[in-house]
Amino acid sequence: MNLGKKSFFSPFAFWANAFKAPTTIRFPKEDLDFFEKPGASPRYRGLHTNDIDKCIGCGTCSEICPTDAITMIESENKKEGTLGRKPQIDYGRCCFCGFCVDMCTTGSLQMSRVYLKNYATPPDKIGDEEVEDIKKHFVLVPDEKFSDDLGYTTPDEYSWLDLERVEMPQMDAEERLQGFIEYVKGFTREQAIKEASRCVECGVCTETCPAHMRIPEYIHEIWEDDPYASVDKMYTENPLPGVCGRVCTHRCETVCSIGHRGEPVAIRWLKRYAVDQLSIDKIKNIAHVFKGGKKEKHVSIIGSGPSGLTCAYYLSVMGYKITIYEAKPLAGGIMRYGIPNYRLPDEALDKDIDVILSMGVEIKTNTEVGRDITIEEIKKNSDAVFIGTGFMESRSTKIKNVDRPGCYRALDLLAKISRGEKIELKEKVVIIGGGNVAFDIGRSIARLQKAEFGKVGVTLTCLEKRDEMLADEEEIIEGQEEGLVIKPGRSPKEVLLDENGNVRGLRTVKCVKIFDDQGRFNPTVDESDVEDYEGYMVVEAIGQAPNYDYLGKDILDKLEIVRGKILTDEYGRTPIEWLFAGGDIVHGPDIIHGVADGHRAAQAIDEYLMNQK
Amino acid sequence: MSDWVEITKIGETDKYETYEYFFGPNHPGMHGNFAYVVDVVGSTIQKVRVSAGLLHRGFEKLMEQNLWFQNISLIPRICVPDPDPNEAAYCTACEKLLGIEIPDRGKFLRSLALEMSRLTSFLMGMGALGAMMGLYSVMYRMMDERDNILVFFEWLTGARIYHMYSIPGGVRRDIPEGFKEKMLKLMDDLEYNLREWDRLLFENPVIHKRLKGIGTIDPVHAVEVGITGPSLRATGYKADVRKDDPYAAYPYLDFDIITTEGGDALARAVQIRKEYEQTINLIRQILKRMPGGDFKVYLGNPLKLRIPAGDAYARVESSKGEFGYYIVSDGGIRPYRISVRGPSLPAGLYLCNEHLPGMRIDDIAIWMASFAVCPPDFDR
Amino acid sequence: MNNNDIAEKIKAVYKDLEVKPKYSNQVEIRADGIDIVGLLAFIKSLGFEHLSNVTCVDWIKEKRFDVIYNVWSYTHKVHITVKSGIDRDNPEIPTVMSLWPQAQVYERETHEMFGVKFLGNPDLSPLFLHNWKDIPPLRKDFDTVEYSKRAYGASSPEGGNE
Repeated sequence: MNLGKKSFFSPFAFWANAFKAPTTIRFPKEDLDFFEKPGASPRYRGLHTNDIDKCIGCGTCSEICPTDAITMIESENKKEGTLGRKPQIDYGRCCFCGFCVDMCTTGSLQMSRVYLKNYATPPDKIGDEEVEDIKKHFVLVPDEKFSDDLGYTTPDEYSWLDLERVEMPQMDAEERLQGFIEYVKGFTREQAIKEASRCVECGVCTETCPAHMRIPEYIHEIWEDDPYASVDKMYTENPLPGVCGRVCTHRCETVCSIGHRGEPVAIRWLKRYAVDQLSIDKIKNIAHVFKGGKKEKHVSIIGSGPSGLTCAYYLSVMGYKITIYEAKPLAGGIMRYGIPNYRLPDEALDKDIDVILSMGVEIKTNTEVGRDITIEEIKKNSDAVFIGTGFMESRSTKIKNVDRPGCYRALDLLAKISRGEKIELKEKVVIIGGGNVAFDIGRSIARLQKAEFGKVGVTLTCLEKRDEMLADEEEIIEGQEEGLVIKPGRSPKEVLLDENGNVRGLRTVKCVKIFDDQGRFNPTVDESDVEDYEGYMVVEAIGQAPNYDYLGKDILDKLEIVRGKILTDEYGRTPIEWLFAGGDIVHGPDIIHGVADGHRAAQAIDEYLMNQK
Repeated sequence: MSDWVEITKIGETDKYETYEYFFGPNHPGMHGNFAYVVDVVGSTIQKVRVSAGLLHRGFEKLMEQNLWFQNISLIPRICVPDPDPNEAAYCTACEKLLGIEIPDRGKFLRSLALEMSRLTSFLMGMGALGAMMGLYSVMYRMMDERDNILVFFEWLTGARIYHMYSIPGGVRRDIPEGFKEKMLKLMDDLEYNLREWDRLLFENPVIHKRLKGIGTIDPVHAVEVGITGPSLRATGYKADVRKDDPYAAYPYLDFDIITTEGGDALARAVQIRKEYEQTINLIRQILKRMPGGDFKVYLGNPLKLRIPAGDAYARVESSKGEFGYYIVSDGGIRPYRISVRGPSLPAGLYLCNEHLPGMRIDDIAIWMASFAVCPPDFDR
Repeated sequence: MNNNDIAEKIKAVYKDLEVKPKYSNQVEIRADGIDIVGLLAFIKSLGFEHLSNVTCVDWIKEKRFDVIYNVWSYTHKVHITVKSGIDRDNPEIPTVMSLWPQAQVYERETHEMFGVKFLGNPDLSPLFLHNWKDIPPLRKDFDTVEYSKRAYGASSPEGGNE
């Protein structure tokens, strides 16, 4: 640098540039040629593109948008797990920050390298004074139009979403096997708040939950560190949050928008956390807040499972007098007699049931309808009847020798184990079935074996292949950790007997296909591939069936029963106007469905009784 | 005087008349919508009043209504030619409150964006200074050069002007493949072109005649009125936020505080020329010493990010001086209060009252360009 | 001197003040109801020659304005935030123009945005807001949506026009 000393001719040096090629770009003849292909950079934040098939309409883009440019409009994609919405972007407001792309839960919303958009008025609109028309040209619904020229996209590692779950503290396999203590320890306050903060409050879960629980709202309250408000929001749709917080099939988590890129929010554990924080008195306060006036009508409920209890709770909230008839000595149905204590301890179940009973619900245990009391008598004493008797009979494979001593059905055994009754335990056990019940019984037996023999010897065999198994993935993984040997894709052939006629094992053949071309259950097997499993006890856990005998022929004739399930309308109404049904006998085994049925049936019963005069 | 131009005559004696002129808001020598209302006799300024507010966008209020992350899209707009210091200062203040340290790679990437931004701002500033003296070719050439850097911004961040690159916890994207090599090549080109800038601008007798003696300030007074950055260093005072209150990757880089003696507009121009060279050197260092590893700390779902209650002040050395963000949080998902300290305020709103009277009206633009007065950063 | 030493030094003179060092190089001073000019003059004499800015925080629930002075020392490389709480209903505080002349502009801005009166500042006329007739806009009780409805007849709930 030579300040201020410049020759007289130096201004003319400038002319050298006259012969240089201009560095500016003459669009559209030329385009920026710096990156590998002409146009903007490979990361350019240009106009949006949206894969409608992938977009679930969660609206997270609209939430993060700092300029409020994104509104959600109706979409043609209305599959399960979507909200039937898609984003619409007002480019008059958009600042191309790309936050929507970084926040997109599915990765469907991306930005392209296209940045030119002609907003010119179409010829037929010229002269049209409607401002609205002009406005529309700024508003675009992103679709796949620019998807062949992608710019700013967000792979999972760049995503702003919290993709990793807070790890749930739980016992390891060896510790679990020591007994029937609940092995999932539950979140601490910090863990729950952290987990709740992962939720983007889109509401896909609410749509999918059979009971339509207000999941984003109660998670929000947990995040605000207010379990009371959270449980308060649960009781409007579900009076069994303590149970559902432990053993729900959590379809909400299956569709959770965060689950598209990472691990879904632990909705079930959060629910459990909130309920566990509150004493039973506080929950009773919540449950009683809604209690309305007193009504003279009387409703009888048969079965104290999830649907029966839910129906009882909501009807008692409305002021009806309720009597529940339960065949077993304790209330709870499948929740008490089917689910092992290590998953659902009795304390949690009792807490929920106590709250419901505190509403003034009368429960008659050890009263089996059809044996101790007839349906006609019940009808005589009440104005409406709800049946939620569930699937309490185990199905059988009906293979050879399965009726011999030493062969059991899963539910019978589970009921015994959960009541602490002694069963004839053997060192080697074979279980037929691959659903949650099969794992429940398998893992229960494993615990008993551990206590009695010091080692686990359970073989579990099912028709489905490993990745098609019906049980929850965590059940399968945890079962394997506990020492269950899983033999998927096998069809049971016969129970093998030794020379004394005692059970000694199970012979299986390979299962090639489970359903036939019409989609009916009709397994195809390969008889040449035979495997025998050693076991001195065989347990069938291939599904449950209902028993309607107690209803009597008159009623059964009027009901329509399809594949074991009673046909009702959405609200549990049957062709008999005073009879309502719900739970497993309507929708098949699922607790949360039972809760939903009970809630809706309560509404229908209320409507029926109000119109009755 | 034709009848369609009206100039307010505000005083008259038997010898001379005093007129009131608006320098701006629409004036080629004015950056942004801002005006000095000057009373002149002939072309000599008697008195100056500032007329700000035409740019006021209520950013501080707006930021209180946005989520912590959403503000990232807002803050670069506080200073358009040099947006990254805003992001860095905001993020640094947030990180102080959160009590986190960002990974080294994140620090280097943030520094890279800051130094690239400094280059573009210097080019724009030097170009503007040239244009204010009528040397428009200089400005066009420098704007062209600036575009070469903007292409790299586009490559790194996805946008040319509003990069929105830093986020609390680090940066949004890692550097793309092949970026480093091409960037180093660009640095060589920029250094080569410095010879041209010297010939065009710094060796040009015009600038020496026009800049010498304009807006002279001594170091003591400069500190007293809050002048920072290159303007302060052009008085010979050794101060640089990058060294004094280190942030991002500056503790890992080798550089000295450059100063120039003089304290007038010429010294400030020369100072910028020196710092431009230093910045090129810094970018080379950053690229060569870039460590591996993560480029951000994950802070969780942005929709539910809470920043612990408290307050923090973070300052960043921008191309014009100290950019400071004072952030107050009440522990919520939105800031409770954000106060922005723009580097142009001391010169643009206060020092003008001391310097402009007595100066000629033609020199206002030069004075502003030499102090790098950028109205958007005080009129936010 | 690091921020701990500075804090000790200030505490030695101002014994009743809450002075706490924080982060690596910042000091926070809570100075309610004392001679703020005297305190800042003392701080300046310690080598804190650079005033970064003067601003204000509205703690509406506590009915208090905190006037904030951010000062920096080029010698010690330490930052001091002085917070002076004043009554929200009668916000008055002396000007610090005598120490840092450019404080005039910061005080003028703070007066405009919060309504804090800086006693002794000769010019507190509006700087940015032309023809402003409402309450100072950066106060927490100023509702932007309400204002846009009142002033511009906005029709949508967010304050814009449908």
